[in-house]
Amino acid sequence: MQNPYRPIPARIDRIVRVRRDVKTYTLSLLNAEDEAFQPVEPGQFIMISVPGLGEAAFSVSSWNSEGRVFDTTIRRVGRLTSYLDGLSEGDEVGVRGPYGRGWPLKESEGKDILLIAGGIGLAPLKPVISYIAHNRERYGLLEILYGARTPDELIFMDEYDAWRRIKDTILRLTVDMVPKGVIWDYNVGLVPILIEDVEVRPEGSEVMVCGPEVMMHFVVKALTSRGFSEDQIYLSLERRMKCGIGQCGHCQIGSKYVCRDGPVFSYAEIMGLPDVNI
Amino acid sequence: MDKVLREEEISHLVEELISRYQVFGPKRKGSDHVFDEIRSSDELDLSYVTTILPPKKFLLPQREKILSFGPGATPEEPKPPRKQLIFGIHSCDLNAILILDKVFLDKYPLPSYAERRKNLVTVALTCTEVDRACFCSSMGTGPSPDQGYDLLLTRLGGRYLAEAGSPEGEEILNLVEGEEAEPKDYEAKHRLIEEVRGKFRKRVDTEGLPEVIGESLQHGIWDELGEICLACAQCVMSCPTCYCFDVRDRLELNLKEGFRFKEWDSCLLLEFAEVALGGNFRGSRAARIRQFIGHNLGWGGGCQYEALDGMFKCVGCGRCIRVCPVHIDLTDAAARLRGEIVAKSV
Repeated sequence: MQNPYRPIPARIDRIVRVRRDVKTYTLSLLNAEDEAFQPVEPGQFIMISVPGLGEAAFSVSSWNSEGRVFDTTIRRVGRLTSYLDGLSEGDEVGVRGPYGRGWPLKESEGKDILLIAGGIGLAPLKPVISYIAHNRERYGLLEILYGARTPDELIFMDEYDAWRRIKDTILRLTVDMVPKGVIWDYNVGLVPILIEDVEVRPEGSEVMVCGPEVMMHFVVKALTSRGFSEDQIYLSLERRMKCGIGQCGHCQIGSKYVCRDGPVFSYAEIMGLPDVNI
Repeated sequence: MDKVLREEEISHLVEELISRYQVFGPKRKGSDHVFDEIRSSDELDLSYVTTILPPKKFLLPQREKILSFGPGATPEEPKPPRKQLIFGIHSCDLNAILILDKVFLDKYPLPSYAERRKNLVTVALTCTEVDRACFCSSMGTGPSPDQGYDLLLTRLGGRYLAEAGSPEGEEILNLVEGEEAEPKDYEAKHRLIEEVRGKFRKRVDTEGLPEVIGESLQHGIWDELGEICLACAQCVMSCPTCYCFDVRDRLELNLKEGFRFKEWDSCLLLEFAEVALGGNFRGSRAARIRQFIGHNLGWGGGCQYEALDGMFKCVGCGRCIRVCPVHIDLTDAAARLRGEIVAKSV
């Protein structure tokens, strides 16, 4: 019987600094054939493990059809992430997963797609953008709304031009505040204000949202008041998963386990569950 | 073939079992009872009502290695030297094991659990006494089990009806002399069960309870309980079905070797639902006690695992009620959520 807690060795092929405290790590399995690791789908998460320091769940921020080489974009906030911040290309970490249910890409085919992200919440949505770019003919309009506290806290700035060049794609940006002396040509205000101008209509569309729960709360309010229904809004929830496989209980919300039934849920599925403030 | 055993045959049976298995059973400890290793039949006290800790400790040790790392890494857990047998387990605790099986065997089997479970034999005992906090009868998990045991003993006066529930139970029964059970013995058992059912002082109306709790998330009772709950987690630690755990690493002094372990954790503790940057999805004690009671009587059984088939996570052993230093009682909470007026708890 296979130990479900055994990490698989992976190598850091590439590290790219995204922001002062955020880096993207490209990981590949040391044994590319390892069957304990299934190809990653957009929206799923992986556990990254460092012996002696522990393990934590991270979202995957890239998509490729192989799914066995992938990026994860990590902000330095605690012990494990600070350690990862100090690693170099060629170093090894342990991974397991991928776990959970990702974004409803298959179900969304033929529809317009509205992506709404706040802060580092853009990372789990980034693979959706690559996936749609790669399968452009299968989707309608792609509209991306993204906001952060300040221009300095936006992530993936290098990618925005490329995203704007994807056929039938709109990117709208906003920040909560612009510090003195910083040039900013886009909106100022919280993410929900971008919803006022969206071109994607509720009919024949799907919405995918990731960001702080308080942001998602107001985003859902704004969307439903514009006529988007609870079952066409998908949200990625954050919890501190310790096991990833529905056993440790840390990510339980009512009858759902974020690790096993999520992290992506339709709003209809989580409405009214305890300890969700959306 | 089911048998009827005389009282002294039970001692004989226990001695026989000790020679074949590592036997655990209820033992007196001060004014309480604990499940502990039984080395001689006279250590066993079958007149117990409940134990301080449930037998989940044999399947889910409080702390357990799940991974070793470093150059000298050793296998995670040594196998138990012999098959283990719990003698005299009550129906609530036996049903609790069946729930733990759903969590740790169904989808991603935990090898250590699977190994221990495979090597666990149960000799169950129908309850003849009911404690003030027991309510297994309303949860459908007692006072006598109808599945999951290898052997079931029911004390009928000075004799025991012994029913095998598995081939291993049959083999155990072959170890002792006894008369063949007759219809009147089964009838006596059923009469006894009905008599015991009449003794329960606590009950939970389980009809539609998950829905009642699901619709009561904003009920004032949670704030009220949150005010008095000490968040000491004794309810969780003493619960036979609470399985949540934390995962941590320990590094040896050489900083090269170490191990990762899982350890009992509790939703009543503040850190349990913490996320990065100090966020906490259950920062209030009201939300945490709601999680404990909700998991046990609401979303825990009704729908958490499809395979639970409508079973509740709670098996009605009453331990959480007995240990709570501020007398929080989930049977009272369930009644109040239905709008019933509840007299002050014992």
